[in-house]
Amino acid sequence: MISIGFLVNPYAGMGGPVGLKGTDNCVVEALHRGAIPQSPLKAKRFLSGLNKSDFLFYTAGGNMGENELKSADIPFITIYQHKKTEQTHKVITSALDTKKACIEILKRNVDIIIFCGGDGTARDIFSCTGPYMPLLGIPAGVKIYSSVFAITPDIASKVLNEWDGFRVSEGEIIDVDEERYRNGYLDTHTYGIAKIPSSPKNIQSCKMVSSGDDSQMMHEIASFIIEIMQEDTLYLLGAGSTTKAITDKLGLSKTLLGIDAIFQKNLIASDLNEEKILELSDRYPKTKIIISPIGAQGFVLGRGNQQISKKVIQKTGIESLIIVATEYKLKNTKTLYIDTGDPVINHSFGKNISVIVGYRMAVRKKLNNY
Amino acid sequence: MQTKIILDENELPRKWYNIQADLVTPLDPPMHPQTQKPVCPADLEPIFPKELIRQEMCQDRYIDIPQEVRDILTLWRPSPLYRAHRLEKMLKTPAKIYYKNEGVSPPGSHKPNTAIAQAYYNMKEGIERIATETGAGQWGSSLAFATQLFDMECKVYMVRGSYDQKPYRKMMMQTWGASCVPSPSPDTNAGRAILNRDPKTPGSLGIAISEAVEDAATHSNTNYSLGSVLNHVCLHQTIIGQEAQKQLDMADEKADVVIASAGGGSNCAGICFPFIKDKLDGKNPDVEIVAVEPSACPSLTKGLYAYDFGDVAGLTPLLKMFTLGHDFIPPSIHAGGLRYHGMSPLISRLHADKLIDSTSVYQNEVFDAAVLFARSEGIIPAPESAHAIRIAIDKAIECKRTGEEKTILFNNSGHGHFDLSSYEAYFAGSLADYEYPAELIKESLQKLPVIA
Repeated sequence: MISIGFLVNPYAGMGGPVGLKGTDNCVVEALHRGAIPQSPLKAKRFLSGLNKSDFLFYTAGGNMGENELKSADIPFITIYQHKKTEQTHKVITSALDTKKACIEILKRNVDIIIFCGGDGTARDIFSCTGPYMPLLGIPAGVKIYSSVFAITPDIASKVLNEWDGFRVSEGEIIDVDEERYRNGYLDTHTYGIAKIPSSPKNIQSCKMVSSGDDSQMMHEIASFIIEIMQEDTLYLLGAGSTTKAITDKLGLSKTLLGIDAIFQKNLIASDLNEEKILELSDRYPKTKIIISPIGAQGFVLGRGNQQISKKVIQKTGIESLIIVATEYKLKNTKTLYIDTGDPVINHSFGKNISVIVGYRMAVRKKLNNY
Repeated sequence: MQTKIILDENELPRKWYNIQADLVTPLDPPMHPQTQKPVCPADLEPIFPKELIRQEMCQDRYIDIPQEVRDILTLWRPSPLYRAHRLEKMLKTPAKIYYKNEGVSPPGSHKPNTAIAQAYYNMKEGIERIATETGAGQWGSSLAFATQLFDMECKVYMVRGSYDQKPYRKMMMQTWGASCVPSPSPDTNAGRAILNRDPKTPGSLGIAISEAVEDAATHSNTNYSLGSVLNHVCLHQTIIGQEAQKQLDMADEKADVVIASAGGGSNCAGICFPFIKDKLDGKNPDVEIVAVEPSACPSLTKGLYAYDFGDVAGLTPLLKMFTLGHDFIPPSIHAGGLRYHGMSPLISRLHADKLIDSTSVYQNEVFDAAVLFARSEGIIPAPESAHAIRIAIDKAIECKRTGEEKTILFNNSGHGHFDLSSYEAYFAGSLADYEYPAELIKESLQKLPVIA
């Protein structure tokens, strides 16, 4: 039996079709512009793909999950009601409702929280759960940068059908500042690293010995990177648990979401911004940047690690980049993206990029340059 | 318009061609792992028959093929040489493409060419049982086939991951009377020790080799047998190239390019060595010889030419070869037969002397070629063989650009009927293009001491 917290953000995804580039703080405006709720249909599609009966669902009332479970004829327990059961669009659920419902769900000690929404919903839920509760997103939002989302509702069903209840991987919670986005600026920020369900069936593993567990792969990647580290080179390590595995293996502490600097296997600076990175690369002429693709789309540069800016790449050269990722992380990203803001630099990376996935092992991935 | 060029049974070569007699630079001797001194025949006698040890070190240009071995080889040999008319047409190339089809053997590959000979010499010296390891199952099934023809027992330690994934290969071995067990097994000390530590381990070729060697060393009636890498294995495969030469003569053709995939190197040696002799003799000095490797495991293309162990565990003699390091475990690409960290010392020497070129290709490109070949010529090739097909196609496309009418020959070393799950993965788009990060590794190797 797998116990599931199930939450639907009924208004996720409405802003996009009516030109709002997101729905955060704009539900009324979106409705006014004639937007149609997207997420109930996607939630129903997810539920219709489940093929096991040993799931126990906890959900919130009305259009926050109850309606969808009812229509799918799946038993559930309602643990939260927002003030009025919504029949029309007059009662608007809010991020606060999502958070309150999430807190109630956590009290039930569930195995996983599955939610239907976008990056904003993911962020709201992550703010309650922290990094230890497995999350799985059914994509229904305008912005889907976080890698806690399955690619489609059908894939989300498949992931849950195949999940054993405990095997997990990691995915970033990323969100865009919508106000800035509406004004033409794309500022993404990584808010955390969440647990996501993983299934060995979904992994084309590089080694037969792999158990589908990310930690073994990270250990291998870290061993290889440490083996190739040179005494005269500064290493800048980007965000995420794959790069953190390198510092863990070196016995150093690293910020999970920041850029840290290592020289001669010692940590010399943490949580660097662009300016500090440029300063350091002045002092250390040989610099390598070790980063992992970020988010659902697999951005190597341009989302979630903006400190590695165009100026930084111009200074260190494109050959300074060493991309690392586990195969689990890469399995759903057919192509990787680079968006430094400078098309000339973007295209200088070529059509393919090599990603270190294990000990002395890489995978060639197609690159889409902006 | 002839498609198949067939030799009569009595044209099956009577001698193997031993390229050791013609090497520009002699081979460096294998070294004893403990003494670091050249291995002598007595070191190898506990696990190999004397005649194979003699062949391993022999400098005679030709070695007679025993009549009993030739009789068995005629079950499928001489293998046909095909002109790939339909592939040429599909590619719209002026090149002429020929291929040997080694998939016609009972086990479905070139491997029995040496399995028969090895089983024969063991039988002649009173050995009743042979132990070996197998990864993908091609070699294990070939040796199972060979040993039953000489009424010998055969024990195959099959890497457990493959044992579970390829049930039909173990059925083949069983059909031919061999005992095939998943490795690690409870039958050896090496296997038991690993099972105690990790009962669920999927095993590795290195573990399976350790088990087979231990089995041979601890049973007085048992020897060990290897399906690639060693000189005598390459020697036995040279009938492929010798037949191909005769067949091309019949078609009034001279090879411009000879291509083979290369894992341990025996298939490559088999088709290429007789053509290298032509190159050295001046009979066909410009023939280009190409060994094709997977980009995930490019020992010739990206490795070091150095002494290294032949196995992962470090039990075998040290061989001078192109290697990625005996501790390198290649990713589980679908061409399992090409997952070897090293390369035959003979192929390595010839590559170092610039008589064999090498190149490496990605998994998806290989399957692109395999499917194109299957859709034009009908034969579904083994993923290993499709590496050669990829480069043959690339060369033919290049001819289209230059207008050259080159004669391209490759060895289609086996069929892919037991590899259809790999094709399924390819069609599903789930094959990863693994590669060996050579540039980064080179940086780390700069710190290592130079290997003498």
